[in-house]
Amino acid sequence: MKGTFIINGQSKTMDFNSDERLVISLRNNGYTEVKNGCLEGECGACMILLDDMPVHSCQIFTASVQNKNITTIKGIGDLHLPHIIQESFVEAGAVQCGFCSPGFIIATYALLKKNPNPTENEIKQAIDGNLCRCTGYVKIIDAIKNASKLIQKERVHS
Amino acid sequence: MNNLNWYFPKTIKEATDLITKEKVLFHAGGTALLPRNLDKINGFINLSDLPLHYFKKENDTVEFGSMNTYANIVSKIYEIDSENILLKSLQTSADTPLRNRITIGGSIAFAPPWSDIIGALIVLDAKILLSGENNGDFPIEKFLQNPKLKQNSLVTGIKFNLSNWKSFSYRNIRTKKDMPAFHIVAMLKIENEIIQDSKIIITGTVNRFDKIIEVENYLKNRKIDDIEFSQIEKLVDVKFTGKRFSDPEYSQKLVGIELGRGIKKLVRNL
Ligand SMILES: Cc1cc2nc3c(=O)[nH]c(=O)nc-3n(C[C@H](O)[C@H](O)[C@H](O)COP(=O)(O)OP(=O)(O)OC[C@H]3O[C@@H](n4cnc5c(N)ncnc54)[C@H](O)[C@@H]3O)c2cc1C
Repeated sequence: MKGTFIINGQSKTMDFNSDERLVISLRNNGYTEVKNGCLEGECGACMILLDDMPVHSCQIFTASVQNKNITTIKGIGDLHLPHIIQESFVEAGAVQCGFCSPGFIIATYALLKKNPNPTENEIKQAIDGNLCRCTGYVKIIDAIKNASKLIQKERVHS
Repeated sequence: MNNLNWYFPKTIKEATDLITKEKVLFHAGGTALLPRNLDKINGFINLSDLPLHYFKKENDTVEFGSMNTYANIVSKIYEIDSENILLKSLQTSADTPLRNRITIGGSIAFAPPWSDIIGALIVLDAKILLSGENNGDFPIEKFLQNPKLKQNSLVTGIKFNLSNWKSFSYRNIRTKKDMPAFHIVAMLKIENEIIQDSKIIITGTVNRFDKIIEVENYLKNRKIDDIEFSQIEKLVDVKFTGKRFSDPEYSQKLVGIELGRGIKKLVRNL
């Protein structure tokens, strides 16, 4: 099948099988920042934003989301122009092997966009779809709290 | 690789006409369809373009289109009734990204033993709205008990009345990631320190769901101070199968204890 998608703000046509999962199509088309973890909707490594909502891309048939807006972590920021959240993760040491980081950062981005000043419980709920098997969650939660402070500061200044 | 046809109907009529084709299935959130044996089907009817994402409230009656997700229900109900049993049942169901995909329609049609929505809909006496071979409003219990109602029919929505009864929901999980081994929902009508009425449902049992009539009868017209919570535990007699999420014997023991605890917390406002 052939279909068009808006990926990181750009129109993109992809070839995919009719029973293919979105994580596979994205990776086959160069979006390897979307990690293929469990393929069961458990680990959150493949998380993307679909029309601004965090979802597991392994739990979605590619064919079902044609013409929708997809954001991968590279649509949020990259090495040359990192987002505050990405910087906060590095700063807090919330990254070890890094495999889960794109998913956590996507979940954090969705949370802080809706709620720039979340409580610790709200943070925990927002990352309930992500697993980290290296650092544990303390540093990740610290990174999110720090990103929240920086985003609020930036808002005041702008 | 399976060669599936994808249909994108724009109207309910188009969708219900398509479902009469051989071996095609409705696709809502898709979360139950991915692991299926896809070589047995010819295609999917994607429901996302249908006008079924709506939410209506008229006086005390609430109606949700079947394409609303768990996340939509939680945020919409929170605005109108923060004590609602549906909200309590769904707010920690699965996880955040899955709650953004799992729909009402798919969850009612699939109704797995681990469903977090079914118990709440039963105690709310919800009606299921159907179009296609079966048309009209059907009580949820009737819908669950009569598989023929699903045949060539599209769940278009749910409807229920808001209630001021007190309620609680308990999901039995070992880790946050688990699907519940069982889910208890209870609604109690309390006036002047007396339980006037109650509705108690346990899902995940051998029968998929059980009404706990013995406990409902025990509570009826009983003063709060006269409730013996250890008695409640003894009155719960439901059976569990499969060991996927928990040992059935353990669940059987635990379910009564958790029901007693939940009712205690509720009546004592803990
Ligand atoms: C990892 C994981 C964990 C989960 N944990 C939980 C949990 O803890 N609690 C919980 O409640 N759920 C949980 N779920 C969701 C549950 O298992 C089902 O996948 C979900 O309820 C199906 O809803 P859907 O919208 O994705 O339906 P779909 O997968 O699209 O469809 C399911 C079935 O319903 C049919 N269908 C869909 N829409 C309609 C309609 N409008 N009318 C008629 N038929 C229709 C389809 O043809 C299909 O047969 C979990 C799912 C996953 C993947």
